[in-house]
Parts: sequence; C-alpha cells; structure tokens
Amino acid sequence: MTAVFAWIPLFPLAGALLNGVLGIRLFSRRAVHAVGVGAAGLSFLASAVSFAGLLGAPGASVTRTLFTWIPASLVSVAGGRAVPVSFEMAFRYDSLAAVMTLVVTGVGLLIHVYSMGYMAHDRSYARFFAYLNLFTFAMLVLVLGANLAVMFVGWEGVGLCSYLLIGFWFTKDSAANAGKKAFITNRVGDFGFLLGIGLLLATLGTVDTAGITAAAQGGLLTPGLATAAALLLFLGATGKSAQIPLYTWLPDAMEGPTPVSALIHAATMVTAGVYMVARLHALFTLSGTALTVVAVVGVATAVYAATMGLVQNDIKRVLAYSTISQIGYMFVGLGVGAFSAGIFHLMTHAFFKSLLFLSAGSVIHALSGEQDMRRMGGLRSRLPRTYPVFVVGALAIAGVPALSGFFSKDEILAAAFASGRYGVWAAGLVGAALTAFYMFRLIFLTFFGPDRMDEEAKRHLHESPRVMTAPLQVLAVLAAVGGYVGLPRVLGGGAWFGRFLAPSVGEHEAGIAGGTELLLMALSAAIGIGGILAAHAVYVRKEGRPAARFVERFPAVYRLVSHLYYVDDVYNKVLVRGVMRLGSILGWIDEHVVDGLVNGAAALVRAISRLAIGFDGEVIDGAVNGIGSLSRLIATGLRGLQTGFVYNYALAIVLGLVIIIALVVTIL
Amino acid sequence: MIPINAVFGLGLLLFFIGLFGVLFRKNLVIMLMSLELLLNGVNILFAGLGHHLKSPRGSIFALFVILMAVSEAAVGFALVLSFFRSKKTYDVDEMNELKG
Amino acid sequence: MITLAVFAFFAALALVSAVLVVVQKNAMHSVLYLAFTVLATGGVFLSLQAEYLAAIQVLVYGGGIVVLYIFVIIIVNLQEIKAEKRKAFPKLFIFALPALLLVQIADVLFTNRPAPPAGPEAGLEFKTMAETLFTSYLAPFELASVLLLAVLIGAVIVARRRLVHDPD
Repeated sequence: MTAVFAWIPLFPLAGALLNGVLGIRLFSRRAVHAVGVGAAGLSFLASAVSFAGLLGAPGASVTRTLFTWIPASLVSVAGGRAVPVSFEMAFRYDSLAAVMTLVVTGVGLLIHVYSMGYMAHDRSYARFFAYLNLFTFAMLVLVLGANLAVMFVGWEGVGLCSYLLIGFWFTKDSAANAGKKAFITNRVGDFGFLLGIGLLLATLGTVDTAGITAAAQGGLLTPGLATAAALLLFLGATGKSAQIPLYTWLPDAMEGPTPVSALIHAATMVTAGVYMVARLHALFTLSGTALTVVAVVGVATAVYAATMGLVQNDIKRVLAYSTISQIGYMFVGLGVGAFSAGIFHLMTHAFFKSLLFLSAGSVIHALSGEQDMRRMGGLRSRLPRTYPVFVVGALAIAGVPALSGFFSKDEILAAAFASGRYGVWAAGLVGAALTAFYMFRLIFLTFFGPDRMDEEAKRHLHESPRVMTAPLQVLAVLAAVGGYVGLPRVLGGGAWFGRFLAPSVGEHEAGIAGGTELLLMALSAAIGIGGILAAHAVYVRKEGRPAARFVERFPAVYRLVSHLYYVDDVYNKVLVRGVMRLGSILGWIDEHVVDGLVNGAAALVRAISRLAIGFDGEVIDGAVNGIGSLSRLIATGLRGLQTGFVYNYALAIVLGLVIIIALVVTIL
Repeated sequence: MIPINAVFGLGLLLFFIGLFGVLFRKNLVIMLMSLELLLNGVNILFAGLGHHLKSPRGSIFALFVILMAVSEAAVGFALVLSFFRSKKTYDVDEMNELKG
Repeated sequence: MITLAVFAFFAALALVSAVLVVVQKNAMHSVLYLAFTVLATGGVFLSLQAEYLAAIQVLVYGGGIVVLYIFVIIIVNLQEIKAEKRKAFPKLFIFALPALLLVQIADVLFTNRPAPPAGPEAGLEFKTMAETLFTSYLAPFELASVLLLAVLIGAVIVARRRLVHDPD
C-alpha cells in the first residue's frame, strides 16, 4: 500500500494557506470555495484511496516519517537507563486511522459544501473557509499522528481552530467570550494530557503509539503507572470531548456558525478524546481503574447532559447537550473495553449529529436567524426538504431500530451489560430514554403544532437552497444505513466493522449469549420508541401542558436543571473569581509595594535633580561662562604675541627650532 | 681628509653669527644679509657631511639651499623696495603694522 | 695636507668676514664683507671636494645675490641708522635662546656620528652627483624651476610702482 495517506492532511493545509493568505484580499467567492471545497474534496479522495489500499491488506499499518522534529537526545527513564529520545513528525495509517480520516474528510466535505450556501452572505467568506480547512488539517494531523507529540500538535491545532471558529463573529461579545472559554477550558485538560505524555516519556522513553502499545502489552508498565498515565491523558480527553468536569464550553460554543457546530462540535474535534483513548487502548486496558473511571464519567455525563437538554429552548443548545451526552456513550463503550464499539458510535454520531446540526442550521436560515424553539412551530409543511432529513437524524439518535444509531448504541449497552457493570448499563438505558424524549421534543416543537413565529420571520420563510439541502440528504442516507457495516452477528451480519478495527483497537467479544443480546436490543429499542411516543404525547397531543405543569409543581427542580445545575456559576465564582481576586491582590501589591518603591525612587531622583539644578545654575553655568572669560583672557594675552615686530617673530622661530630639536633628540 | 669636527664647527659658527646678526640689527638690509650667512653656514655643513659620507647628496642639498636663498633674496628685496616706498625708512622697529 | 691648509685658510677668512658683516654700521661695507664671506665659503667647498658646488656658489651667490644687494642699497639710498637701546630683558632673552640652540645643535653634531663608509671616493665625483640629481631628485629639481618662475613673477609684481589706479 503506497503512502498516499500522507497527502491527506496536505490538501486542506494548502487550501487554508491559499485562502488565508491570498483569498481574504484577492479571491472572488467562487475562487474561495473552489479552493476550500476543492481541498476538502481532494482530501476525501486521498482518504478513500488509502482506505481502498487498506482493504486489500487488512491489519496493515504503515508509518511515514516526514522529518525529524527534535533530534535525539538522551533521556533518563525509569529503571536508571538512558535512552535516546527523538520526536519525529510521522504519520501512521491503519484501520483506526482509516475510519477516522474517512469520517473527518467525508463529513467535512459535506459540511464545506453546505457552508457555501450557509455563509454565502457573510463578509468574511474567505476567512471562514481558510479556518475550516485549517481545522481539517489539524484534525487529520491528530488522527494520523504516529506518536503522541504529533497528536498533541493536532490536538492544540484543533483547539486553536475551535477558538477561531467559535469566535468567528468576534465583534459580538458573547461569541468572543465563548471562544475564550472554549480555549481556556481545553487548556486545563491539555495540562493533564501533557503530564500524561511526560509520564509515559519518563517511564518508557518513547511516545510513539505503537511503541506504547508494545510496551503495555509487553508488560513494561506497572498497573499503577498505567493508571496514572491513563487518567492524566483522560483529563485531556474530558476537556477536548466535553465530558464532566470540562464540558462547560460546548454549549457556549454554539455562538459559532452552524457549520462549525456541525463539524467541530459534533463530528470531529469533540471526538478527538475518544480517538485518543482508543488509540492507546493497550495502555488503558492495563488499568482497570482507569477504564472504570472512563465508563463512569461517560455514563454520568450522558445522563447529566441529557437532563439539561430537556429544558433548553434554543435549538442549537439542545443539540449541544445532546452531543455531550452522546460522547459520554462513546466513552462508556471504551470504558467497558469495547473500543471498536466506541469508535462505531463515533462514526454513526458523526453522521446523524452533523445532519441534525446542519438541518437546524437550515431551519435557522429559513427563519432569518431565529433559534428559539418557542418561536417556531408548524414548519413541517413549510420546509419540505429540511423536515424529512431532520426526522431521519432524530430517529437515528433516538436509537430506533434499523437506523445507524441503534446499532452503535446497542453495541455499547450490550458490552456494558456483558462486562458486568449493570449500573452503567441501567444508567445508559435511562439516558437513551431521555435522548429520545428531548430529541423529539425538539422535532415537535419545531415542526408541529401551531406556528408561533415572529411575523417578520414568517414573511421571509423559505426553504434552503440546494447547496445546503443536498449535503443534508447525503448525510441522511448515511445516518440511515451507516450502521449496517457493524451489523452484529446475532442479527445475521458479519460484525464487519469490529473486525476491521480489531488490529488497531483490539478484539472484543461480547461475552453474552445471542439470546441475551437480542433481549437487550429489544429493550433499548422499546425504550427509544417509548421516549418518542412520550414526547409526542406531551408536546403534540397535550400541547406541552404536562411540561408546564411539571414546572409549576417542581419549580426548584426546573430551576436547578435550567440553570445547568449552577455548574457554570460555581466555576465562575470559585475558579474565575478566585483567579481574578488573586490577580487583584497581586495588583494591589504591585501598586502599593512595587510602585511605592518606584515612586520613592522617583522622589529621590527629583530631590537630587533639584540640587542639580542649583548646581547647574551656579557651578556649571559659571564654568561655562568662565570658559568664555578664560578664552577671552587667553586670546587677549596671545594677541600680545602678534607684536608686529620682526624680531619677535625671528625669536619665535628660533625658539621653535630649539623645541623641535629637543624633541627629535629625545625621541631618537 | 678634513676632520669633520672642524667642518661642523665652522658651519655652526657661521650659522650662529648669522643668527645673531638677524636678531641684533635693526637695519633691514643687514638683516637679510645675515640670513645669507645663515644659509652659507648650513651649506658648509651639508658639503662637509657629503664629503664625510662620500655621498653626492650633500652637494645636492646644498644646491637646493642656494636655490632657496636666491628665491628668498629676490622676494625679500621686492618687499624691501615696496616697504621703503611707503615708509621711507629701514628701521625694523617701524615695521609693526601687523600688530594684532 | 694641502687640502687641510686650504680649508683652514678659507675657513678663517669666512669667519672673520662673517663677523664683520654683522657688525658694520655701513650697509655698503657689510655687502663687501658679505662678498668675502661668500667667496671664502666657495673656497671651503673646493677643499671639501665639492667643486660643482663651489662654482655655483661663486656664480650665484657672489655674482647674483651680492650684486643684487649692492643694487638695492644704491637704489634706496641707504642711510645709517643709529642703534637704539633695547630693554635688558629682551636683550638677555635674545641672547639666551640662540645660545641654547647652539648648545643643542652642537651636542647633536658632535656625538653619535656614523663612521665614514670605507668605500670608493666615487661618491664625491661630479658625475655621480649629476646622476643622482637627475634620477632620485628630479622632482625637486623641476619643482625648483617652477619656484624660480613664481619668484620671478612675484618679485616683479611686489616691486612695481603703483602707477595705475584700478578702475572702479
């Protein structure tokens, strides 16, 4: 298999540079999206070609080193050895990388196309596509990285692009702040990531992922060290993937344009943490503690976020919390050892979540920017192309059988059950119910019932252009049938997805009987459909009255949840204010102590200068004047020499002669 | 060979006689003549050295000195003539108009 | 031996004449004694085997400069001038400084002398002198002729009678 895969990240990089450097000033809109979408397309093509190459050689893993970033130097590692450590800029392509690059470039391409329509009226068209391409490049570097250093470069890169794209409309205060919040929260996680990398480097002397896998499987790591490293790395993952405790930035990130939400905060960047854990599966497997932490955090986040999604009124925020929740499911899959199941859900989620976001964007676009669901309604007939695809996405995420989401979610739940973590499994089911409920609440509020739209918006109501609805339709198909690659054996499929990924992430066999699995499947299907029906009952038949009554009867609960459990406020008060108070203390010190010293010095200088002025006036001026008088004196005296008497001149000549001869004699 | 000391002594004496003449006489013309004495003394020194070191250079320098003397005499006389026309006197003490 | 005697004779003559030049009150007498001094110096040159120099000395100095002096004295009708008294201080100074110079130069001349090279006496020949003059010292030679030209012109200009008024 050739190293075509090394080209995958280069096309978006070129696109980003072209659009960023030249496009902002020089290119027409057509040129901009030709470059941007073209780059994304070429990247997808490269991914497909590489994937095809891999099909013929399953289990292969090709590494391509581009150049040496930091040449080798000796590092002393645990055990007293000193090993040469060097950081290479290297890419590795295997089945996991294949899946990730296909998802990133494929969904990315569709979103680039969609953006041509969505951002058509935006002033900073070129900047947008430049950033989108740059993000794609960074994400691809992340997933193709052969060692943790390269992965970290991509990790930071996507973080930067997330900041740039969330705050794309930076003139808006809330957008700028959201960008900052995202970046800073990520940074906290990155701290853990870096510590984890450092720990691995110090212990093993390498950060190459294959090397780490080999070391872990070869027994070179104690469980304690593995746990420590895994937990540190996982902290980074919670930041990037918006899990407890570092999820607070994601809902605010909805300030960015909708394609950004779709690409970064649904399909790709937030899944970076999942990818990282899957890539280092060998390390995590060594530590039961770490795996349990991952699973518990995942399921807790899944349920917790779902509850918050229930009470959101902004269509994008519902989807944001939904994303947080679904990523929790992915981590559950990883945490119970079913790494391929977690990646499977990553893929199906990329399909249906980006579909949902883009469709929401279509609705918002149709309503001239309205995002509050309370001012929507009855759009079913008005948006004939958006509505059906939106429903497909919702059905997929709710886990309705035959759609992709069902297969992936079910695989995770089955694995949880099989691993004996019944608590996790049960919580997962609750989360699934909530997911179905809030998702269809969204559908019903938006598309059904009487229209509560603003008059202005209603007048301009129009379906989105083809350039936006076409990608939606492609995604809908993917969301519908994308799950069949992982069709479990018990249903007659070949579980092909899991087997494809096995060389990269390890085998996992659900150790449960076929009958139990079918039972579990039926249970989760029932839960999903039940959720939909419940939502229908509440929001269509009873027109939301039960919800209103609940709020009346349990106002405290409602308030708690709708204020997002006050987590943001707690963070704000404790952490942010704490830091700011520290800052003001230091500022006080600076002002009074340091500035006091400085001012004291200044006062001293001033006193000295007053003395100096006096000095200057008398002494110096006197000296200057004195020099003048002295010159006059000398001149008057010297004038006496010009006597006009020849004799004197003659004598002077003689005198000069004497002196010169004396000088010459002494020198010689 | 003539002892070089004698030549030196002669040259020196002539030089200083001329020097004293320049410094102590008020008559301008006699001052100028004393200058010629100076130059003669120097010429003797040159010739003596040339003789002593068996080099033609002594004579050559002396030749140039004579040239200088001639030039200086000519110009000097011209100045004397013009001065006399204005002042009607050769008293050097009267020549003080360049007083600064 | 003969050379030494010749030298001594002309040396003595030169010295005596020189003193007399300086001392005379009458300018015409001074000129006469100057002529003697010049001729005596020429004789010294002869004895020092600088024949060319002797010839030039007699011709240029004696025939040129001395004659010039005579002409000038005649033209301007030189009168005797009484020697005025000068103040003591300057007189002393005038004496002391040249004396100092004398001592200095004497000191330089009479010490540290290089020995005469033991070589052929060819360096004293007129032929050698001519060769050296026209090879090593050609530039000064030519410059000297320029200088003489300048002097000629300058002297004429300076000595002119102011007959013509500048037209304004």
